[in-house]
Amino acid sequence: MNQTLKIFSRLLLVSLVFTLVLGSTTSCTSKKKLAKEKAEALATEMNRAKRDLNNIIDGETTWTLDQQAEKVAAIKAKNWDNADVDQLIEKAEETISRKRAEAERLAEEERLRREEEARLRANQSEFAVIDNQLGAIAGASSVDEANRQINTALNQFATPDIPVLIIISQAGGFNDYDRPTTITKFLNYLKDKKQYKYKVESVKRDGLGKITEMELIVK
Amino acid sequence: MKKLSYLLIFVFGIGLSATAFAQDDLSPERKQAVDSLAMEKVRDLSKYISIIGNKETPWSEANRVIDRAEELFMQGSEIGVSSLVRAEVSYYGVRKYLERLMRLNYSKVEISWYNIEYVSDLQKQPDGTYVGVITIFQKFKGYDKEGKLIYQDTTKKDITVYVKRKETQIGGRLIGFWDVLLGDIRVKETSK
Repeated sequence: MNQTLKIFSRLLLVSLVFTLVLGSTTSCTSKKKLAKEKAEALATEMNRAKRDLNNIIDGETTWTLDQQAEKVAAIKAKNWDNADVDQLIEKAEETISRKRAEAERLAEEERLRREEEARLRANQSEFAVIDNQLGAIAGASSVDEANRQINTALNQFATPDIPVLIIISQAGGFNDYDRPTTITKFLNYLKDKKQYKYKVESVKRDGLGKITEMELIVK
Repeated sequence: MKKLSYLLIFVFGIGLSATAFAQDDLSPERKQAVDSLAMEKVRDLSKYISIIGNKETPWSEANRVIDRAEELFMQGSEIGVSSLVRAEVSYYGVRKYLERLMRLNYSKVEISWYNIEYVSDLQKQPDGTYVGVITIFQKFKGYDKEGKLIYQDTTKKDITVYVKRKETQIGGRLIGFWDVLLGDIRVKETSK
């Protein structure tokens, strides 16, 4: 009986030791596998980060500049501690910064262009009124009618002697003018010639809104 | 330092020359604009002569137009007058010619100019003035009280044109302009 118990105890001990050894071996294999999987996941994530950064640098993405900046910030926050990634982050940030400056410049140009268009539209509309008046003097049916229109038109001008400049050609950034005249002489000239072949190019006004100088261009 | 000064003077000199060149030597486009301007002054004179000669033009208007017409000419210019009944051509000062035109002894006068064109293009003279000659044909018709045509002729006339670049201050700005002035108007031929 004692012999049987002894054998049983030994068997139990051996099986216990075997179980322990087997158990520890299995646990070690699992940890390595996890570590490997984790490393693979990190490598995949880093590769994705590098690809995104390269796409941003090469301009091969449909993301907006804000989205690109968010993406770079997210990658940067990971602290990859990798020289390649750090270099790509720096380049991507430079690219975004340059594109932002370019976008701002274009936006500013567009704003100025629209302002200029609006100013020209306003001027054209303002000048069209003057052009119509001058055209009406040239097209008056009689001398008396022309004189009435001249008197009405003169109300818009600060004095009957304000200078009228007539541009005969524009080239190389400067204007060629005819001999300067006065508004009274010019309005009478239109009456005599019965022809208005000009366009108002610019006017200067005083504080009361009266025209103090007018520039016309030959059409 | 001295070399740098010479270089600056040279560059500045070139800049000034380029500006002067841009002002005085005309590109074909600018030359064309100046040609047209001179031609337009002759057309202006044509219109003024027609208004002054027209008996329906009010006296005050005719006098105003005489002033405008006179401004087109160089000081001392003369205008030739011919007639089919007289062999010689008479020359009058511009103002006198225009005043005589206003007082012509017809009840109705019609004057028209046509075939206005350059016979001698504007050429730059040593003093910078451009000089050219424009020819015109003038058709004159005089009527009596009954509206009957009692005299008519066609005269070919040559008008000397002077164009000079000048500058003036306007509103604090220096304005460069082309001053076109007409010279003598010479009668070349008169026919019926």
